[in-house]
Amino acid sequence: MAQTITAQRDQWEDLTESGDTRQVRGKPDWTDLLFFAVLSIGAAYALFTYSESMDIYEKWILVGTVPAVVWLGWLWRPLRTYMLITGVSALFAIWLYSGNLARADENFFLQYFFASQAAILWMCLLFLIATVCYWGGFVSNTAAWLGTTLAWAATYAGSVGLLVRWREGHLLGPDLGHIPVSNLYEVFVLFAIVTSLFYLYYERRYATRALGGFVMLVITSIVIFLLWYSLTRGAHEIEPLVPALDSWWMKLHVPTNFIGYGTFSLAAMVGFAYLVKENGETTSYKKLAPLFILGVLLAAEPMVFRTDGLSATWMLYFGIGAVLIGTILAFRRPIAKRLPKFEVLDDIMYRAIAIGFAFFTVATILGALWAADAWGAYWQWDPKETWALIVWLNYAAWLHLRLMKGMRGTIAAYWALVGLLITGFAFLGVNMFLSGLHSYGEL
Amino acid sequence: MSQDSQLTVRATAAKVSLSSLFELVGSMRFAISLLVIISVASVIGTVIPQNRADNTYIDQFGPFWFEVLDKFSVWSIYNSIWFIVIMAFLVISTSICLTRNTPKMLKDMRSFREHVRGSSLRAFHHKVELATPRDLEDSNKAVQVWLKDQGYALKVREEPDGRLIAAKRGSGNRFGYIAAHASVVLICIGGLLDSELPVRAQIWLFGKAPIVENMLIADVPQSGRLSIDNPSFRANLFVPEGGARANAVVSIGDAALVQPLPFQLTLNRFIVEYYATGMPSRFASEVTVRDPDTGETFDRTIEVNHPLRYKGVTVYQSSFDDGGSKVDLLAHPLTGTQPGPFELSKRVGESVQLPIGNTGREIQLEVTGLRPINVEDLSEGIPPRATVLEHVASVAGTAAGRRERNLQSLGPSIEYRIIDDSGQAQQFHNYMIPTMLDGDYVILAGVAIDNTEEFRYLRIPADEAATAQEFLNLRAALADPQMRQMAAARFAQSNVPAGMDGAALETSARRALDTYADSGLEGLSQFLESSVPADELSRAADVIVRLLGSTMSELRALTRERAGMAPLDPNEPQNIRWVQLSVAALSDLQFYPAPLIFSMQSFDLVQASVFQVSRAPGMWMVYLGCLLLTIGIFAMFYVRDRRIWVWLKKEPGQDSTKVLAAMTSQKRTLDFNREFERFELALGRLNKRKE
Repeated sequence: MAQTITAQRDQWEDLTESGDTRQVRGKPDWTDLLFFAVLSIGAAYALFTYSESMDIYEKWILVGTVPAVVWLGWLWRPLRTYMLITGVSALFAIWLYSGNLARADENFFLQYFFASQAAILWMCLLFLIATVCYWGGFVSNTAAWLGTTLAWAATYAGSVGLLVRWREGHLLGPDLGHIPVSNLYEVFVLFAIVTSLFYLYYERRYATRALGGFVMLVITSIVIFLLWYSLTRGAHEIEPLVPALDSWWMKLHVPTNFIGYGTFSLAAMVGFAYLVKENGETTSYKKLAPLFILGVLLAAEPMVFRTDGLSATWMLYFGIGAVLIGTILAFRRPIAKRLPKFEVLDDIMYRAIAIGFAFFTVATILGALWAADAWGAYWQWDPKETWALIVWLNYAAWLHLRLMKGMRGTIAAYWALVGLLITGFAFLGVNMFLSGLHSYGEL
Repeated sequence: MSQDSQLTVRATAAKVSLSSLFELVGSMRFAISLLVIISVASVIGTVIPQNRADNTYIDQFGPFWFEVLDKFSVWSIYNSIWFIVIMAFLVISTSICLTRNTPKMLKDMRSFREHVRGSSLRAFHHKVELATPRDLEDSNKAVQVWLKDQGYALKVREEPDGRLIAAKRGSGNRFGYIAAHASVVLICIGGLLDSELPVRAQIWLFGKAPIVENMLIADVPQSGRLSIDNPSFRANLFVPEGGARANAVVSIGDAALVQPLPFQLTLNRFIVEYYATGMPSRFASEVTVRDPDTGETFDRTIEVNHPLRYKGVTVYQSSFDDGGSKVDLLAHPLTGTQPGPFELSKRVGESVQLPIGNTGREIQLEVTGLRPINVEDLSEGIPPRATVLEHVASVAGTAAGRRERNLQSLGPSIEYRIIDDSGQAQQFHNYMIPTMLDGDYVILAGVAIDNTEEFRYLRIPADEAATAQEFLNLRAALADPQMRQMAAARFAQSNVPAGMDGAALETSARRALDTYADSGLEGLSQFLESSVPADELSRAADVIVRLLGSTMSELRALTRERAGMAPLDPNEPQNIRWVQLSVAALSDLQFYPAPLIFSMQSFDLVQASVFQVSRAPGMWMVYLGCLLLTIGIFAMFYVRDRRIWVWLKKEPGQDSTKVLAAMTSQKRTLDFNREFERFELALGRLNKRKE
């Protein structure tokens, strides 16, 4: 009897997976293992060589980074290639330096490519071209493809720049070096990289390049800020750490925070795209006005913070920003046609905010733990802390309404845009406007 | 509002009962409104600087608005009653939401909902309906294998002619909800325990009376002291080097309470280390801790980011101060013909009444600070760059600083305040040793601009002994009409051309000197403007400047003679320069807002550490809350809950089976849609035979 059942079963196919592998991550394979091995060897080498420069927490952070990075690489394979190439390039640059900072002026590769500032300038340039290409992508697929390539290249250049900068800090003086996330300049580079990586992830996952132009607008703003900040303020120079920042907590708190900021700005720009698509056929100026005003407000944000009068740079930035937003709205019809479906836009917006919210929560908690060590209280209503809370509450409300009340579409998109305004204030405005314990990012 | 809805509102209002209030407070609408209110209140708290002196706010808002805003405790918004009440409502609202939903959710997490009626599956939005030639047993097995393979837990309900398979996955999502919301309650309560509230409660309930006036800690009555076992406080502890303290101070508004500590802290040494740029790189306190119960002692170093935890109390390095350094000062009168100086010795923080000459009036001197080390960047900022290429080159390459920095150690300096008899206070900041500025050795004497932290500096030329004494002697001589007369006479004598009358020259020199002594360079230029035609003004100014310079040079020579100092060659460039600087500085002295200037001769540095000591009973609650929050949020977003029901029914009289299946989730995202498509495809294979 048993035999017949087996025989019968054999006639039928099993209910296997459909073969649609796009959404299913493969099991970790030997390449992951190899990646893990390479990283482990690197970490072990660092642990032994620089044992004296790290305290026990920093060693644990280093050890913990290995599985975290391998896991990320498994979640999204292209990340592995990117990290490997970045790492090798940074090591190459460090080897070129061979312990002597002055070699940056002699060595061709360092001078034009791998010295941190050279790399970061490349990042700026490549992001700017990528933005243009992505917008060109509405006309030509080749341009869109070029946009993706350039965005990758820029991300690569930026990360190499940061890694080399870390080394340069140590070459400047034994007590000067620190992870390059300690001031507004450094975190802005990180901000650009994180935003771009998340965008590239969604680009591949949803197979659309039409959002690139929108997201790159934020990155362009970051780049302009970086250039202005280094050209007029000399902010790119490595400064020693103030005692309060000299802690292993910084390695956790700041990068986590910027995953939040990066995804929040991504969500806002997707929200902008959503609204453009929604108004694709609109001819009434009344309906377009709020979108235009919000866009202009975002463009005006860096200017609002200036306390010492209006600078020509930011007036120009504001003017060009307003014209660009006007242009986008003027071409809303063809742009709307090319943009992905509403559900896709809505989904990206939700996902980005969800990731951002989760990481922002963790970052704020880490910040509280650090504050408890450094200032004696995990929460003391310092302006930066308070604004972090405001940002958190804002997105908490957004998520509540979305998940519980089914908020979708227009309101969600407008809210995400307003969210960027608030987030922008939380990490730019507070540093420039309000004094407090976080005032190391002052202009 | 339409009439209908008005009626409804009235009807509801009439029926307000406890349960509907309960309903309202627990509703999401209410919670979201609270979040918004808290946000707005928080914004106010960041825009208006908190916990400043009342005067600051009166200046800023005017007396009327000060009164109004004061009613709402806008100055310490986060400790105001209404803010705490809103927070309490948030806790209550979240708790209600939790108690109402948790049992439902827990039940839901466990339940497979296998009692759903097979036919009701047709009502689902995501459903599959098909018939398969497989028999019931085989279909059942195939479906179960697939579901288990996909990570579903399942339960099967037998029916006469069929079977209902109820499967679920990702119940942790619901746990995430519970954890996240419970964490909000935990964090808020923990935070409240660690806030100012417990100390305030002791004031209300146990009649503690904060001390307003200055008094020694030993004199503070019992009502001004908190218990040594006080479970929650945040206090400041000031310990000078060599000092031992066992009492900290809790500030409540403008008043304070004494908080006894379960140990005694002795500061052996306070350390500040600097980077080459003069920026501090490390603050650390070497302390000895003594436990009064056991008499046990141990040494520790407390520094920023490395607090000391002992007996439930945490001690943080929060700042540093002067611990009463002894400074030896010289007071130089800036009026009258006596050059002074007279000596006095004070400790930082002390004040003293001093007479102004013979006027019978007094000023109060308050030594406010001693800075043993000053490193300043005296460069002119970023050099101008012409071309775009130069711009790029300036930021390319390494991130090492390219800027020409002119870092100079300016030596020690003293800060003091002078309060005149009308109560006007003015802050001063004087350096002890000369600084090389633009090629001259000058002593910098700073005057605070409009009582801010910024200073405008008087540049006093230094003498051979690197002090300001010769300059101050010159000032006294200039104030003396006799001396001025003598200087003018000498000047005329040595400068009169052969065979000419010196008297005219002497009169001119005398008049220039008098005007200058009286009203400075400003006075001289006014005199010129009123008496010389415009086209000759620049030539006349030139003449008078040289005249003044030479006369002052004579005055200097006279002063030096009197002081018994060696004569100098007035034509040496450095001496000419010295006189030029003096002329400028003496003129600026006209506007100096004090009758005395103080210079520091020597000091004996005593530093003090300011610690923050706290007992935070809510801390672990908050940390547990944070952990729950993190787990909860990730569970809510990334554990995807799915339910699947598959109803298999034997077709009457045949071997084949009818399949009706449905899938559902809390969150219908695109992912869910795709998963459903996969499920649909997989079920579709029930019809496929092996090749």
